Amino acid sequence: MSIIYVLIPIAILFVVIAIGVFFWAVKSEQFSDLNKQAHSILFEDDKEQHKKSNDGN
Amino acid sequence: MAKSCFHCLEAVPSGFQGEVIFEGIANPVCCTGCQAVAETILAQGMSDYYKFRTETSGRVEELVPEQLKELTNYDNQDIQKDFVSEQGNLKEVLLSVEGISCAACAWLIEKQLLALPEIKRVDVNTSTHRAMILWNNELTQLSEIIGALMQIGYKAYPFQADEEAAQKQAASKAYMRRLGVAGLMTMQVMMFAFAMYFGMFSGMEDGFEQYFRWISLILASPVILYSALPFLINAIKGLKSRQLNMDLPVSLAIFGAYGASCYATVMSVGEVYFESICMFTFLLLLGKYLEFRARMKASEFTANLQKLLPLTARRIAGAAEEVIAAKNLQLNDLILVKPGETIPADGIVVEGTSTVDESMMTGEHLPIKKFANHQVYAGTLNHDGVITLKINKVGQNTLLNQIIKLQHNALMKRPKIVEVTDKVAQWFVACLLIFASITAIGWYHVEPEHAFWVTIAVLVATCPCALSLAIPTALTCAVATLTKKGILIKEAHVLETAPKVSRYAFDKTGTLTEGRFTISDITILDQQYAESMILSLASALERYSEHPIAKAFVDDNPSFIEIHQAHVSTGLGVSGEFEGKHIAIGKPSWFGSHASFAQATLFVDKHPIADFYLQDKVRTSAPEVIEYLQSHRLTCHMLTGDSSKAASNLSNELGLDSYKQACAPKDKQQEVEQWSNRGHIVAMVGDGVNDSPVFNSAHLSIAMETGADISKNTADVVLLNSDLNSLKTLQGVAVKTKQIIKQNLTISLLYNGSILPLAALGLVPPWLAVIGMSASSIVVITNSLRLLKL
Repeated sequence: MSIIYVLIPIAILFVVIAIGVFFWAVKSEQFSDLNKQAHSILFEDDKEQHKKSNDGN
Repeated sequence: MAKSCFHCLEAVPSGFQGEVIFEGIANPVCCTGCQAVAETILAQGMSDYYKFRTETSGRVEELVPEQLKELTNYDNQDIQKDFVSEQGNLKEVLLSVEGISCAACAWLIEKQLLALPEIKRVDVNTSTHRAMILWNNELTQLSEIIGALMQIGYKAYPFQADEEAAQKQAASKAYMRRLGVAGLMTMQVMMFAFAMYFGMFSGMEDGFEQYFRWISLILASPVILYSALPFLINAIKGLKSRQLNMDLPVSLAIFGAYGASCYATVMSVGEVYFESICMFTFLLLLGKYLEFRARMKASEFTANLQKLLPLTARRIAGAAEEVIAAKNLQLNDLILVKPGETIPADGIVVEGTSTVDESMMTGEHLPIKKFANHQVYAGTLNHDGVITLKINKVGQNTLLNQIIKLQHNALMKRPKIVEVTDKVAQWFVACLLIFASITAIGWYHVEPEHAFWVTIAVLVATCPCALSLAIPTALTCAVATLTKKGILIKEAHVLETAPKVSRYAFDKTGTLTEGRFTISDITILDQQYAESMILSLASALERYSEHPIAKAFVDDNPSFIEIHQAHVSTGLGVSGEFEGKHIAIGKPSWFGSHASFAQATLFVDKHPIADFYLQDKVRTSAPEVIEYLQSHRLTCHMLTGDSSKAASNLSNELGLDSYKQACAPKDKQQEVEQWSNRGHIVAMVGDGVNDSPVFNSAHLSIAMETGADISKNTADVVLLNSDLNSLKTLQGVAVKTKQIIKQNLTISLLYNGSILPLAALGLVPPWLAVIGMSASSIVVITNSLRLLKL
């Protein structure tokens, strides 16, 4: 059972990392517009045609 | 059956032939504007937009080359200073974009802009309707960016976030961080708390228990010292201003129990309460954050005031004209204002004639004719003529800013009903603190070793969390319900005030009426022409006019007739050729002798054919709402700036209790103040800028979404669907909320009242204190949630 003395601090370390990630996400405005992110998966990023018009510019 | 436009889904006017080919099928469009936009979108391979959009975009106005040329003004370094920030060699701008309606729009905008050279980053926010753009100025100019947005149908303006908005952003982020910490840590602390609960029954090694306590202490510390800190700060602030607020017992309980638990951990005596205080902090924060979010969303919706004023002005310097930043205008400068432009400062017309739309000032939608020596105001819209102005007021002295000042002053002396609830809370807090001290002193004399723990138990068990949740949760749920129904609540006091209202005052134009003209009567002067022919001719001509009256003809009567050589004569009307005849529509006195009270007359070869009488249409919901309010013993009044007979007609039609016409903003304000001095609680419903001062005098102010930005900013409530029926909903929900708040307060006071003596006598063990505290909160929250189902 004494393994618990080691494992719990490691678990706490993970929580601290999670909080760090969360703070970063808040800072980089990941939560400012939740609606858009939910839909973004639907859109294809690079269509052939679109690439062409990019190159054309 | 009318076909709907491929791009904006509005009905296609008969006679328009445009189409767009999408996936091999020709789809109709309603105007060349929509056609151009749809073709651009498809040509650039962004057809996904049409597949995934969830809301339709608005109708697109055709791009005028003149407008595109004006965009280059935004490239001027001097003008950019105000809204563009430099980031190394890159520039960053925040644009307020009109027409963003769903995620597909955001995607479309990002795609379109990233195709331009050296645009580093585009961030579109669909809830605030703003786009942040980071770009390299050497390769792309700001005008090109705005132009590219116009090509796909979005109008964009540089946006300057005011200090208040920035503060709210920061506050929102702080809330999120505090909530994140409290949430994550509470989960961990609960885990160890459960281990200890089981240990209590089945026995646990002392070493483990002590270890768990230390771990809980470490995990709970950030929650208490970071997440719960605002409660402590508020409590101290309250104490400094000699007030006992709700945060005081909350922070006493949190920090007291935390201190006691720390002591217990270090000394290995007594009980620890880490999990209770962590959860308590989390729930309390969550409630406060949701309340804050609801309020922020409401204020985001109302656009920034600055949008009313243009950024640039054309100053006449000698023979040439130069474009300068509007804020650099000086007194006595001469400026030129072209048709369709917004006037940048107050001034006197020196040259030219035009009609000016002052509806944002006066709320009246008829444009006013201006010629030499007339005063015009900043923020109003020049309709059809080129005018030269001599500036006589700038900056803070303009009428627009004075109206804003007036509303700020009124805001200061607004009766705060919230203060009453605060007073009650103060008494409760004072009693609680006295009781806790008596307990402490009493126990110190009887059994000193138990005194501290019993006192903490009193603070935890009687912790006013149910009480402090009673009002905010009910209000938050009610606000959420109302938001869903298109009623935005901007001030928390609305739901407390609404059930007490005894008088409703309405503005006329745009509130009781639609603020939109329709043809009420046609007098045919030449029987040779049928009515349908007359209407077709009229609407064919009026299509060329931007005058608000023209809309009355065009909207209801789509025309097949082609007019040749159409010509708009400023201040008179529109003329053209049809089948070899000269036809014209406009002022009855246009060609001399015809005298009539009609708003417009149709001429064929300068001979009057028909007179048109126009009327502002009454909102269909108005009679129903007035009847509803009167049946609830509320008196209904009308305060309008309109001086015509239309006001008395409307009042009779709707059966209003009284009306007062030709009111300046100040008159409206005085009228409402007189009522409230006589002890009436007054609600004002309006839409124009002229209503914003009176909004501050009224106990409850309600603005229509179609109204001016200023009035929406000042109002306590904004009706997003501009439907007067929302007033019924608002009243209903407010009354229900009042009931639920009463129930909540009764529940929590009953609980606190009964547990207090028990805890003081030391009869409440810690686990019971925690259960009692949580149970009372859960009952209160569940009760409040009923409001969501209205």
